[in-house]
Amino acid sequence: MANAKHYVLTSLTLGIIAASAAGIIGLTNFATKDRIAKNEKQKIRDGIVSIFGTGSEILNEFEISDKNYNYLVYGYQVKNDDSGLNRYAIKTLGSNSYGKISLLVGVFENSTHEYKFGRLSIIADEQTYASTLEDDYIDVINGNENYDNIDVHCGATYGATLVRNMIDMTVSYANTVLGSE
Amino acid sequence: MMKREKGYTRKNFLKGIIAENPLFVSILGTCPALATTKTLEAAIGMGLLFTVVLICSNVLVSLLRKLISDEIRTPAYIVIIATFVTMVKMFANAFLPDLYSTLGVFISLIVVNCIVLGRAEAYASKHNVFDSLIDALGMGLGYMVALISMAFFRELLGTGAFTFGKIFTFIPETELRIIPKDYAISLFQQPAGAFIVFAVILAVIAFINNRKNELKAYKERQEKIRKAQEAKAQAEGGNK
Repeated sequence: MANAKHYVLTSLTLGIIAASAAGIIGLTNFATKDRIAKNEKQKIRDGIVSIFGTGSEILNEFEISDKNYNYLVYGYQVKNDDSGLNRYAIKTLGSNSYGKISLLVGVFENSTHEYKFGRLSIIADEQTYASTLEDDYIDVINGNENYDNIDVHCGATYGATLVRNMIDMTVSYANTVLGSE
Repeated sequence: MMKREKGYTRKNFLKGIIAENPLFVSILGTCPALATTKTLEAAIGMGLLFTVVLICSNVLVSLLRKLISDEIRTPAYIVIIATFVTMVKMFANAFLPDLYSTLGVFISLIVVNCIVLGRAEAYASKHNVFDSLIDALGMGLGYMVALISMAFFRELLGTGAFTFGKIFTFIPETELRIIPKDYAISLFQQPAGAFIVFAVILAVIAFINNRKNELKAYKERQEKIRKAQEAKAQAEGGNK
């Protein structure tokens, strides 16, 4: 009987601690979610400026839920430049065994109405080899239309492969879906 | 009730900074220490977040120490630590987004940092709230001092300059160049450089400790010889 009482009390204590923890985390989420959402929007705006230059404005936003393009999450149509050709920034989210990475990939339409990779901006990088990935791959391919020719072997090969796949998927989406609209 | 040793609080606080420094003496928490010390600002940020988590978890574990039985000690401590890490992560994401982006996954990894669980287990579960708070403050500041010392050398040698204002954006962006850019050794910004700096600091500390021990042993020997000579002189004087 004494043993049973001890086990019940022990389980109850752990249950109360866990429930309190959940409640506190919920409250913290409630207190910070608006600010976090505002920061995320600002990151997107800053990313678009870093990709397309100062004065770039978002014309249109759309969600991407096509299962064939599983890395792609959201799209932003950016105001055209003087040439009148379309420009898009696509928010992508990918993960591998080293963690998650979220990028804003900029694609632009060229004179032959083909979409090409422009530049990218990092929204969040939780990869374990984040700094190696950024210094030795992302900084190298950023702004390089021929990113495909650059070797992914950089000390963060899995991360670099993931980034390249995300860019490939974005360019393919732009040419297949956006280009046909 | 046992009488408290004089200066206990001061000793308790200082031990975390010098005598029992978690990084340089206990060699704990090395993973974030190597990963987040590329710049001084990142090291200060990591140290602050770590200290907040350590203080909160130590205080709460100490408050609940009589309620938490031995069987559920470890899972209970981990839940408590994970809660505070999640809170700190959310607050950092909301109010210090640049620090949050820079530290990345290493904020979440505070949950599995040996120092936090170790102090909860070894100290907070056996001492009162005030002593646990002081212990956490000392250990947290000690870890921060250790991170800052690593980051100081890595940023100085790796880039030749200290940059401020990129993470703590309330400070105006400043660059303090000490070494010309052409002479900076970028290796120190890489993981290999982090290991080199860590090893050199540990070697210096070991050298200082060895010299201190040698000096102490020498003084003890001299004291023994002096006492033996005094005793001999007294014995000779007595015989006469």
